[in-house]
Amino acid sequence: MMASSFSRRAVTGVVLILYLLGTWLAANASLSLQSLILVAGVFGILAISLDLVAGMLGLYSLGQGGFFGIGAYVTAIAVADFNVSPFLMLPLAMLASGLCGVIIGAMSLRVSGLYFAITTFIFTLVLTVMATDMQITGGTQGLLGPAFTDFPAGLAWLGAPVAWCILLALLAAVALVWNIRRSPLYPVLLAIRDAEPFAEAAGVQTSRIKIGVFGLSAALAGLAGWLFCFLGVVSPGQFDWSVSLNVLVMVLVGGINTTVGPLVGAAFVSMFPAVVAINPWLEEVLYGALSIIAITMFPAGVVGLIRLQFGKPATVPESTSVPAIAVLARDEDEAGLENAVECRGIDFSYPVGPKVLRDVSVTVRRGHIHGLIGPNGSGKSTLANVIAGRLRPVAGTVFVKGKPVNGLSPSGRARLGLRRTFQAAQLVRELTTSQNVSIGLYTTMPGIVRRAAVWPLLPSGRRDLSWMNSQAAGALHAVGAANWTGREVDDVPHGVEQLTQLASVCVAGPDIIILDEPATGLSSGEVAHLATILAGLKAKGVTMIIIEHQTRFLLPLCDQVTVLNAGEVVLTATADEVRANPIVRQVYLGE
Amino acid sequence: MLQFILSGLAIGSVYGLIGMALAISFYVTRVINFAQGQIMMAAIMLTATISSAGYPAWAAVILGIASSCVIAVLSYIIAVRPILAFDRFGFGWLVSTLGFAVILENAAAYFWGPTSRPFPPILNNYSFSIGNAVLTGQQILAIIVALVFAGTFELVRRRTLYGKLGVAVATDPDMASAIGGNTTAVAIAAFAISGLFAGVAGILIGPSTFANPYLGSTYGISGFIAMMIGGGTEKPLSAMFGGLLLGVLANGANALIDSQASDWFPFLVLVVILIVTPRGLFSSGGFSFFRLIGRTR
Repeated sequence: MMASSFSRRAVTGVVLILYLLGTWLAANASLSLQSLILVAGVFGILAISLDLVAGMLGLYSLGQGGFFGIGAYVTAIAVADFNVSPFLMLPLAMLASGLCGVIIGAMSLRVSGLYFAITTFIFTLVLTVMATDMQITGGTQGLLGPAFTDFPAGLAWLGAPVAWCILLALLAAVALVWNIRRSPLYPVLLAIRDAEPFAEAAGVQTSRIKIGVFGLSAALAGLAGWLFCFLGVVSPGQFDWSVSLNVLVMVLVGGINTTVGPLVGAAFVSMFPAVVAINPWLEEVLYGALSIIAITMFPAGVVGLIRLQFGKPATVPESTSVPAIAVLARDEDEAGLENAVECRGIDFSYPVGPKVLRDVSVTVRRGHIHGLIGPNGSGKSTLANVIAGRLRPVAGTVFVKGKPVNGLSPSGRARLGLRRTFQAAQLVRELTTSQNVSIGLYTTMPGIVRRAAVWPLLPSGRRDLSWMNSQAAGALHAVGAANWTGREVDDVPHGVEQLTQLASVCVAGPDIIILDEPATGLSSGEVAHLATILAGLKAKGVTMIIIEHQTRFLLPLCDQVTVLNAGEVVLTATADEVRANPIVRQVYLGE
Repeated sequence: MLQFILSGLAIGSVYGLIGMALAISFYVTRVINFAQGQIMMAAIMLTATISSAGYPAWAAVILGIASSCVIAVLSYIIAVRPILAFDRFGFGWLVSTLGFAVILENAAAYFWGPTSRPFPPILNNYSFSIGNAVLTGQQILAIIVALVFAGTFELVRRRTLYGKLGVAVATDPDMASAIGGNTTAVAIAAFAISGLFAGVAGILIGPSTFANPYLGSTYGISGFIAMMIGGGTEKPLSAMFGGLLLGVLANGANALIDSQASDWFPFLVLVVILIVTPRGLFSSGGFSFFRLIGRTR
């Protein structure tokens, strides 16, 4: 362990020294070569800014050209018209484009996927038109960017200062995404991308994080714009929609959601015209053809292709020690409280169609296991979604631990100590089971978002990450999925997905757990093990609401059982009473 | 007043045709073909070349439109199908259709040179006065052709089995192929029709723009705005209404604000419309913004 961390540090050091040496060479290179490298560096930052949102959050922004333009124009105008120092403009330019990103993000996140791409595309179109038609931006001619101040005489051997500035900024951007990829925020971001309900149920405020990361990405694009205006003229053509699309070409061709991929793509796209010295029109035709070939033949990009050839590098060091699963101390002031969850007169219907729930009132006692049974379509999962906050009741109130929570989002209810699993497992398929489980620790680990940008550099970050890994491994062990700890969810059977969900719920030490068909896909041995796990959780005082069709597994566990039929409560009683009830036998048990 | 409305409708029907071309291919494949404007340009360039080689204008027009159909189908086979086969919900098509556009534009500039070439005038030399407005024959032709094409498309989409198969493929390709629909054939047909619409738009606008390899991106963007204003992502016919509205508004802005206003005014309209109703003015949902507000927490 010590040796490997030492050699990793040595490799990092060597790479850093080589990078600085390369920067020194670039800063002293001939002007044409230097400008080639610097333009590639600026586009590298831009590509990284897009990969941050497109790769990790699945938000395909076509607004990067616009944010890039804001950074460049704000700087050029402030320096030319108001005589502001260009260095003072660095934070201002990043702030301006970052704020625009936050606003655009907040406005367009309601629309998802393709419509997000279209909205940001229109943003870029509008900005280009404004830059072309306004007086202050110099119209189609554009503005001359400010000159970079020289190094003092003693440091002249360092070469061109602008080269140092751009390449160090690129290094900082790479370090930023590198750090985020190695922080516990990374699985959380992928969960927002692939399984948003899962992330929300783990207490992640998904829209806030999306808007924040999009703002960060826009600020990075603004940084690229600030750097770009030192390279010459700032004009509308350099920031129009084709730039936004070209940045996407860079990311997709290089390899989306990789650290090196966007850089490879940026170098390819920006250096292509200079390297291929033929008729410019033919060169463009060749560029178009190559990007089509690249995206159709290697959809995972250059880096993806290399990974396929040489195998995937191991990413997460697995901890071998398995601690006992921790049960977090509960607030004692709630000890007197009798009801964990209470639903009063819940009505629910979708905008069209009949009512799914009709005047449903259920009270779940603290420390009980409360079963929820009924035929398919009787509203069990809908009720679970109403309690967990995914669906809003039309009428009625939900109380969690005595507090009315109707206005609270799923993540807010998760923070109250209410966790849930999903009938169809919601997990990040490209992450390992233990990474998925560690998402469940999001609310227990303070400062995941705040520390993400520098996580691996912080001693506390390394300590906390290994704590999270061992907690996740412990939880997987406790639910009986220890053999699957390091496997990607893509490679595990359906039953293990269910157990992984359960582990991600248990790891947070919740007070109340809603389980939606936890035994689906489990073998009979696994079902028996699940029953002991649930009994163990009950012994620790956890309240559970369990939806399940396997009554032979469920009923012996339950203190109380509610039977639903056609959206109405048939009865709430003990398991024995339910078994004996003639109506239940008729509508559900099928006798 | 009447003048700018009528000439706005004329240019708007061209925008509408391109918008519908974009919407028809989007409708079936959920892909925005960024090469649509360049496909229109190809029809213009070929028509101009054939007619200046001495062949009659009608033959040149037919060949030009046919070529744009063929190129549109090629764009599907080369730039869209391989991407969707890999991941139906991915965004690789943004790259590949843009690549196709880059190829078309620069190949045209390489073969024909970057300067404008003459285009057969068709009906551009006739003029008619309606009230106190004067329109060229070409402008009247544009309005009529656009309405006929839009109407026919909507009839076919709603009333025939082919149209319904298109709806099925658009809604759920897996289901449509499970009940025996050939999704590839439907997609190819949709791209051929989108090429037809783009080609016709090119023939209608050609006499006033002449033939230039760089026409594609300007008209492609206008068509895109027409589609978004109208809500053509859900119903192709809406793109035609969006186009007509865009044409009138842009012309009106030119006449009433200043001569540069048509550059930025459409974008202002687009932004306002998208804020008020994100799915477009004429979409089936209509003012869905308020419903969205009601539903979000």
